[in-house]
Amino acid sequence: MLSTSTRLDVAGIPAATVAEMSEIDQLAVASFGISLPQMMELAGLALARTAAEIRETLEDARLTVLVGPGNNGGGGLVAARHIANRGARVRVILARPVAQLTALPRERVATLVEMRIPVCVSPWDLADGELDAELRGSDLIVDALLGYSARGPARGEIAQLIPRVIASGTPVLSLDLPSGIDPDGGEDSGEDSGDNDGVMIDAAATMAVALPKRGIAVAAGRRRAGSIYLADIGLPAELYRRVGIELADPFAGGPVVRLA
Amino acid sequence: MTTAAGTSLSEKIGLLRELDLFRGLSDSDIEAIGHATTMSVCTPGQVLLSPDDPADRIHIVKKGKVRVYRLTPDGKQLTIDIYDRGTILGDMRMLGQGRIPETYAEAVEQGVICTITPDELTRLIELHPQIAINVIRHLANRLQEAERELEAMAYQRVGQRLARRLIDLAQRFGATSVRGTLIEARLTQQELADLVGTTRETLAHTIADFRRRGLITTDHQRVVIRDAERLLEVAQGEDG
Repeated sequence: MLSTSTRLDVAGIPAATVAEMSEIDQLAVASFGISLPQMMELAGLALARTAAEIRETLEDARLTVLVGPGNNGGGGLVAARHIANRGARVRVILARPVAQLTALPRERVATLVEMRIPVCVSPWDLADGELDAELRGSDLIVDALLGYSARGPARGEIAQLIPRVIASGTPVLSLDLPSGIDPDGGEDSGEDSGDNDGVMIDAAATMAVALPKRGIAVAAGRRRAGSIYLADIGLPAELYRRVGIELADPFAGGPVVRLA
Repeated sequence: MTTAAGTSLSEKIGLLRELDLFRGLSDSDIEAIGHATTMSVCTPGQVLLSPDDPADRIHIVKKGKVRVYRLTPDGKQLTIDIYDRGTILGDMRMLGQGRIPETYAEAVEQGVICTITPDELTRLIELHPQIAINVIRHLANRLQEAERELEAMAYQRVGQRLARRLIDLAQRFGATSVRGTLIEARLTQQELADLVGTTRETLAHTIADFRRRGLITTDHQRVVIRDAERLLEVAQGEDG
């Protein structure tokens, strides 16, 4: 754990390191009985609300949701459901085949398919040029590719997807962190990323879950995050206290607050 | 699927020899089987398997990549998985092999597929009893895999729960020492087993495993967490 004297913050809200955040998630599940699916549902709902705030309305808007294989992707899938319920046209692009997603996102893909929301896997289910046209034609791209537990630079399908998102010029709303940046170090991942150097999303806005992560609080990550929002997933102050973080309730104004 | 006009018999025999089902057969046996089975070259985009196909036949991916997909209600393809060589597709009860419902399989690149029907397999077994032994071995492996998976799942759950409980106890009763975090609460194995929701025997086994892996040590009914980071990984179910 970093000592409090070196702790970074975003608008006075303490930023959490990867180690602290995994401890927080762990405590939530093991000691407080707040389950991962619960947290994922709340994060996804807040993400849809943030998208609505950025767009002013979701009615008739065209959104593309990019989904990675883990829990961050799961949050994106929940958001896709709520965004569609608000009247937007949504298309979901998975960065991995369905069987290669973890269990929680996989279950949420099934819900979207049942809702007849278009879901496809990049690059397999997309014709040449279809992905770029889709990204360019969207009003907003939701980036739920990589979360705080991503290690090292973006790889594989995700590393191929990110430059095309950037090239589309469409504004991006990232969940938790702009994908590709280091969750602790921001643009500086602390390791040689070779060809993937600079494969990072430049977000118009980032919605952090529970606490802003250190990677968007450091200068070398802050500029990639755009406007920063913070989402309430219901974690109590007592839980934060146990990992040494004092937090006065930031959500008096609602379940999603704008920090910067 | 078209039969491989370009696959010479010697090539076909070479491919057959690599298949588990035909292991241990003589050259002349393999040659005879080469005449009896269908080996097809597939081109990218070719559909190898669809829900309308007759049940009870298998296709073995010998070369190339295969994409398995299903159709969504609006008729679009959704990729379920990408398979490499060695995968058996289709279903054949005789091999305990089932099919994922409503799926299609399509070649992603040029490859070679070996197709066998149950009649062909029965005929081959009559002619070459060694194949029956190979089938038994294949089924025994599948059974063993399934048992191992069940065991791993059951054990993983106890391991995961124990790790979570220890982290929780360390938060509440932990004291930092040179050896790690000492949980200052004396708990018998039965008490700890009750907390984790398992039997004392399984708990003892799990504790011994944690000790062997250097995650914890135990001392007079007290636990010292030696490697908090890896214990957290176990708690999150990330240690495979």
